[in-house]
Amino acid sequence: MLRFRQFGTLLGFFLILLFFTVKLPDTFLTYRNLINISQQLSMLAVVAATMTIVMVMNDFDLSVGSMASLSGIVAATLFTLGYPVWVALLAALLVGILGGLFNGFLVSVVGILPFVATLGTLTVFSGIAFLISDGKTIFGRDIPESFSGFARSGLIIGDVKVPMLSITAAIVIFICWSILEHTNFGRRLYAIGGNKEASYLAGIKVVRLRLIAFSLTGLGAAGAGLMYAARVASANPTQGSGLMLDAIAAVFLGMTMSRQGEPKVIYTLVGVLILGVLDNGMTQLRVDSYVREILVGIIVIAAVAIASLSKRSQ
Amino acid sequence: MQSLTFSNMSKAFEGVTALADVNLKLSSGRVHALMGENGAGKSTLIKLIAGVLKPDSMSVSKNGIPLKIKNAKDAHEAGFHFIHQELNIVPQVSVAENILIGENLPRKFGFFVDWGKVRTEAEKALDFLGATHMDVRAYAGELPAGDKMMMKIAAALVSADRNEPTLYVLDEPTAALTGDESEMLFTVIERLKGRGAAILYVSHRMDEILRICDDVTVLRDGKFVSTNEIKETSKDKIIQEMTGRDFKNAYPQRNNSIGKEKILSLKSVNTDNLCNLTFDLQAGEILGISGLAEAGQSHLLKLFMGIGNIRTGTAYLSGDPLPHTPSDAWTRGVAYVPRERRGEALCLDMSVRANIVLSSLVNYGFYAKPWREIKDAFRLGKKVKLKSKGLIQAARQLSGGNQQKIVFARAIQGRPKLLLLDEPTRGVDIGAKYDIYLLLRELSRQGCAVILTSTDLPEVLGICDRVLVMQEGCQAHLIPTGEMTSAELLAYCYPHQEVTQ
Repeated sequence: MLRFRQFGTLLGFFLILLFFTVKLPDTFLTYRNLINISQQLSMLAVVAATMTIVMVMNDFDLSVGSMASLSGIVAATLFTLGYPVWVALLAALLVGILGGLFNGFLVSVVGILPFVATLGTLTVFSGIAFLISDGKTIFGRDIPESFSGFARSGLIIGDVKVPMLSITAAIVIFICWSILEHTNFGRRLYAIGGNKEASYLAGIKVVRLRLIAFSLTGLGAAGAGLMYAARVASANPTQGSGLMLDAIAAVFLGMTMSRQGEPKVIYTLVGVLILGVLDNGMTQLRVDSYVREILVGIIVIAAVAIASLSKRSQ
Repeated sequence: MQSLTFSNMSKAFEGVTALADVNLKLSSGRVHALMGENGAGKSTLIKLIAGVLKPDSMSVSKNGIPLKIKNAKDAHEAGFHFIHQELNIVPQVSVAENILIGENLPRKFGFFVDWGKVRTEAEKALDFLGATHMDVRAYAGELPAGDKMMMKIAAALVSADRNEPTLYVLDEPTAALTGDESEMLFTVIERLKGRGAAILYVSHRMDEILRICDDVTVLRDGKFVSTNEIKETSKDKIIQEMTGRDFKNAYPQRNNSIGKEKILSLKSVNTDNLCNLTFDLQAGEILGISGLAEAGQSHLLKLFMGIGNIRTGTAYLSGDPLPHTPSDAWTRGVAYVPRERRGEALCLDMSVRANIVLSSLVNYGFYAKPWREIKDAFRLGKKVKLKSKGLIQAARQLSGGNQQKIVFARAIQGRPKLLLLDEPTRGVDIGAKYDIYLLLRELSRQGCAVILTSTDLPEVLGICDRVLVMQEGCQAHLIPTGEMTSAELLAYCYPHQEVTQ
């Protein structure tokens, strides 16, 4: 049963792949499309991987979507004010870290439930983004070529051009994986998720670690916001809002695959792939995007339901 | 006379046998003791009866008529009532609601809850128990441990009044009770017997078993060993059956190992919930903390873990002020075994290995060192005689005693100079207790100072060099254990009372 629970989601993923391969024989399983998918889901991958860091501690960050929007707006506004690209990027990432630190402060120092605290900062960040941009989309000549060009460029490997966005996502995933699986920092985050009180009494600096973890998630969200802004060569105060639900859905899908139901970066990546592949395939099949949303919701519920049912029957 | 028979009870977890073909016959109006070391299968047996675990095989019959117990609801309907060692209470609602939990609350107009009646019924049950001091409107979570147990017993009583009681299962009911409260419980058990219920009683306290039980069944390693009438067996025989070996001395020989170095030094210390603490602790000394339930024992230990503010007075750990956080305490050589294993000590879903090395992760540097963790966890596990199916087994799957050994393994990893133990042998069987005592002796020989709280008075007297008695959060007496008897020590625990010589 444990086996089935762990591999059920993976099996589902292959069935989805198989379905699209059969339905779209000419376009789905091609280099071009796979590269395309990897680029489409690179932002989600970055947010989901860094979201895993807080979810390991049984925490949440609902503010990642509006943080992504905010960081794009911050960078674009600084572009229009004539600051060099690197200053704007650094400032946007700094905003991410500070926003994350603020989340961490509310959650671990003040002691507000993550759900409530980050729901609050979600609207705060979003409000700031609207305030700075005056509710308008920043685009056109204001966005420097060197910034938006990054999203269009790629590394030529063999005869395939791998987009820089995909490479960035891969690097972020690798870093998150290394942090969670191969450092004692990560091992302690898992312990906090296992039992906060016990970890505290065993000498783990719970408050400090939660602060750091939340700021890493904020940093990831800001990074994803920049990637998004570069890809569409514009910034608007709502463009990141879809990321949060998908990122949490990806982590939940991943959690159905692990031994004790704990989040792991590798499994989160599988969750991201499931969502990305669905998105891509259904767009090609011209399925209405509303139908896609219904399906994504059902898939997440089904995967988690099967996992918890099979856990209960042990 | 009614009888209740459980036969061929078997259960294996992932291929490892926890209970093999055990039979149990209970009769109404008799108290049946279930004994065995931790991991002997007692908890598994109870969970099968409760319908919480799915048995591999089990048949139940009442007066020869088969009963189906497939889930917790079946057990409830069959009239089985459970009072567990790990109390499952609903902390955020009132005592009255907790007592009537599982029953339909009385209604007004068939719809609104009749709160007045809820309270009277709850009060009636508490009065029956003699626990008149309890306020049924209080939040259950704020009760002292003993009162929580009283509340659960009252809940079982209420449910017995409404349904025909067949069986009560009491799992270590006295672990959190003081002497007086235990006496109250024993009277209740007598009354339940009178009503014709069968009682299955699990406890590690031999004296209780001999006093209140009629029959005893002993399990060892998941197998049935014997069922005897209490009057036909003896303490020594039961212990011998439980452990498979003879036990002459319950406590290992004391060694003269009190060193010169002063580990702790407190002078008239007052904190938010403690007062008047004045004592020194030398290296190698074992200090016991006694008192009635919740007299401040846990607060005192936590003070040395850096939890709690010193208002007045001075306190030093090896000449420096006390640690200010648990993390600071561990780095300075203080180790801690908390009272609540599940709530405060273990990450239950994580591996044995992760749980053992938890406090030492800081010393492993930046990168995780799985091999070093495995090596350390293996060495420490062996030292505390931990029995597990390997280091990757989840802590949840181990028996209570072995879970406690994990926490001990963690505590001794950093070679502590001060070891704080809060009820370290609670819910731990005799064999595992002895292992723990031996370990304490060894640590003390190596110069580690130990502070230990325990409600088991013979244990305090058998293990400790001195005992500090607390009353209502204050230091009341500091006495060398010497030739003191349990009765004398108990007398010291009560406030405002002359000690009879």
